[in-house]
Amino acid sequence: MEAYRTVIERIEALAHDRGLSFDPVIFRVTDSDEIAEVASMGLPNRFIHWYWGGAYKELTLHQSKDVLSILELVLNTNPSYAFLRGTNTYLQNVLVIAHVYGHVDFFKNNHWYRKSNKNMLNEAELHARNIRRYEAAHGRERVEALLDAVLTVARTVNAFERSPAERRKLLIYHLEEKAPLQDWERHVLQMIREEAEYFDLIQRTHIINEGWATFVEAELLREVLDTTEWASVSVQLCNRPAPYTIGYTLFQTLKAERGFDTVLQTRTYYEDIALIDEVLTEEMVKRLDIFVYDPKEKQKSYDLQAVKEMLISQKLFKGEPYIEVEPGGHQRELLLTHREEERKLDPKRVSLFLRAVHSLWRNPVRLRANGKVYTYDRRGFSTT
Amino acid sequence: MASNDRAMRIHRGRIAQYKHDTLLREYLKQHLNELIQQKELVIDGRVKTQIATLDLPTLKYGEEAAVLARGSGGGGGQAGGGGQAQSGDEMQVLGGLLGGDHHGKELRVELDFDEFVRLAQEVLLEEIRLPVFTEAAGGGEVEAPDQPELTDLDRIGIRPDLNLEETMLASLQRNLRERGVADFDVELSQDGWYFVEDPLDYQNHRSVEVYVLDISGSMRGEYLSLVRKTIFVLWYYLERRYPTNLRRYIVFQDVAEEKTRDEFFCVESSGGTHISAGFETATSLLQGVTEHDKFLFLFTDGETSSGDFDLAKRRFEEALGRFDLVTYGHVNPGGRGVGGFSEFVQEAARRVPNALFANLVDVEAIRKTAREFMAVFGDERGDARWKRTGRSLSGSRR
Repeated sequence: MEAYRTVIERIEALAHDRGLSFDPVIFRVTDSDEIAEVASMGLPNRFIHWYWGGAYKELTLHQSKDVLSILELVLNTNPSYAFLRGTNTYLQNVLVIAHVYGHVDFFKNNHWYRKSNKNMLNEAELHARNIRRYEAAHGRERVEALLDAVLTVARTVNAFERSPAERRKLLIYHLEEKAPLQDWERHVLQMIREEAEYFDLIQRTHIINEGWATFVEAELLREVLDTTEWASVSVQLCNRPAPYTIGYTLFQTLKAERGFDTVLQTRTYYEDIALIDEVLTEEMVKRLDIFVYDPKEKQKSYDLQAVKEMLISQKLFKGEPYIEVEPGGHQRELLLTHREEERKLDPKRVSLFLRAVHSLWRNPVRLRANGKVYTYDRRGFSTT
Repeated sequence: MASNDRAMRIHRGRIAQYKHDTLLREYLKQHLNELIQQKELVIDGRVKTQIATLDLPTLKYGEEAAVLARGSGGGGGQAGGGGQAQSGDEMQVLGGLLGGDHHGKELRVELDFDEFVRLAQEVLLEEIRLPVFTEAAGGGEVEAPDQPELTDLDRIGIRPDLNLEETMLASLQRNLRERGVADFDVELSQDGWYFVEDPLDYQNHRSVEVYVLDISGSMRGEYLSLVRKTIFVLWYYLERRYPTNLRRYIVFQDVAEEKTRDEFFCVESSGGTHISAGFETATSLLQGVTEHDKFLFLFTDGETSSGDFDLAKRRFEEALGRFDLVTYGHVNPGGRGVGGFSEFVQEAARRVPNALFANLVDVEAIRKTAREFMAVFGDERGDARWKRTGRSLSGSRR
């Protein structure tokens, strides 16, 4: 870590000069394995679940084959923890350090992150301990089955939604409030919901956050690196995964057209949808080579409106079917509706999903989708 | 500091992976029968399944819908707002990369072939109620994965790591000094001592196993399942007996040809049945073979083409003379009576000690075959090596 001390101080000072601000950052040099572990679990000390195991296996396999390598990881906590990969070159880690300062500035200043839980590292540790305690008290299998069901419905969280009425339409909040769960079960649901909100916020600001970090990285490194190093870095910046390059291009355009102050304001008040909606242009869509692909017709469309709508719907619903809790209905029944009626759901997944929901609701659960009503009750799965 | 941290770290990722794999194995075990029957079992060393990787049971769309994607060329989108995607075009679906999960696609379970075989063996040994060996091969010796294991069966080991260039130079200088001749002492090609093998490439096999499969017409479904299950069960015992064995694969219909392992598990059925061709090619593979024990495993439905019967008999006799053990699997999922060439082999196996006949009707028959096969080793353990074999068939036998 000593090797990076000077460059960290220099980058930090440059960041302050540009008007960036952040909580303290603790850098830690580690190996690919730990980075894959944290990336798959989301947090280094989170409770252990088989689902992270599948993601970890995939990541380590990809890393071993050089298909994918995660160069850095940074946590939205106070202080922030950033992981540098020991096998990175010195120059790669300098890039990572500058990138990290972009992220930590975003965590501190972006409006949507103001209410985020900066104590999540300790919370996650506490959650893991509680879950171990419940395993000892109620049996590992029972807790694992509960975790599977809760993690399934936890995908319905929305970290942006503040209205209680709107929240109640989302399955996980409805279950937390009304499902006939035992106290410890409800506690597990609350813990998982908190963690899910922490990750949901990161997902909903992925493009702007990565774009901003890449933009800051480029701004700061231009002053730190010599011309040859900068030339190789600028090529790398354009070859990063989509969220990085899309966000980076949007910020570059903003700076060129409206100046650095507007850029700073954008990172403070915007999230992915607002940024895309306002800044993305047809010229950028073509330059970034982003298109809507229709597999049936084998056609690409670079139409700005189509690309924008697709991007926004990805951000709104994470590319997953959007279901809502219907108000009213029979008192003990839970009625769910798939909002995009024109799109068909995979019927095999419907029964598995409803079984998971039923294990929490413990009364009949119905889902309106595919022009049918799917039911899961104590007799099992049925369709009408 | 970092190394200390690593030493103290709880490897949560690995623990989670262990949990994941335990569940996955259970799931795969339930689907093994359909997996094993896949016509193309091994592709690029991996068994590809139609089973979706373990996932939380969230809702997913059930149809192919338009997706957001990005060209891999970077920049240069086609003008006019649209264009035909060429088949060679590479594109990346953006789904999960924008903040979703699992990169927006459903992953299928893929297994390394060896992992698949281990899984299949686990299920089969339990299903067929066969004994599981827990002791390590080689009687507790430490095994290094890259080095051949040396025991009393084999004392040749790795040849000296000779510096050929140094040696030849010294030889040249000696000849110049002592005989005034600028020549080497020896003809390189005639002196094996000067042949240096790379210890890492040096393979010291203890046995050669030749697998011969009839791929005429009927090779599908239950037929494939029985053959593969038998092979996997045999492998279980052979691997524990011969940690450094050599496997060769032949398929035959009208003609026979050697295949790679992956090809052997992905063959297309066609043509007639010339069992003679299978035996002949298997025997020809023994040319120059120095392995200690030689096994032949031939799987067929026994319905040899007209005119091939007598030749097949002769080739079978020849194979008996060259192999230490010839195992003939009559693949018979319908449970019909044994006739034709298979009947001849069944009869011969009663007389000839180094022939085994197996009527593979169902898994119970695999159990019987495996037990008979193990009896061969049982006899051997009784210090009367290959007692069943009345005559000496190979110079390598002690």
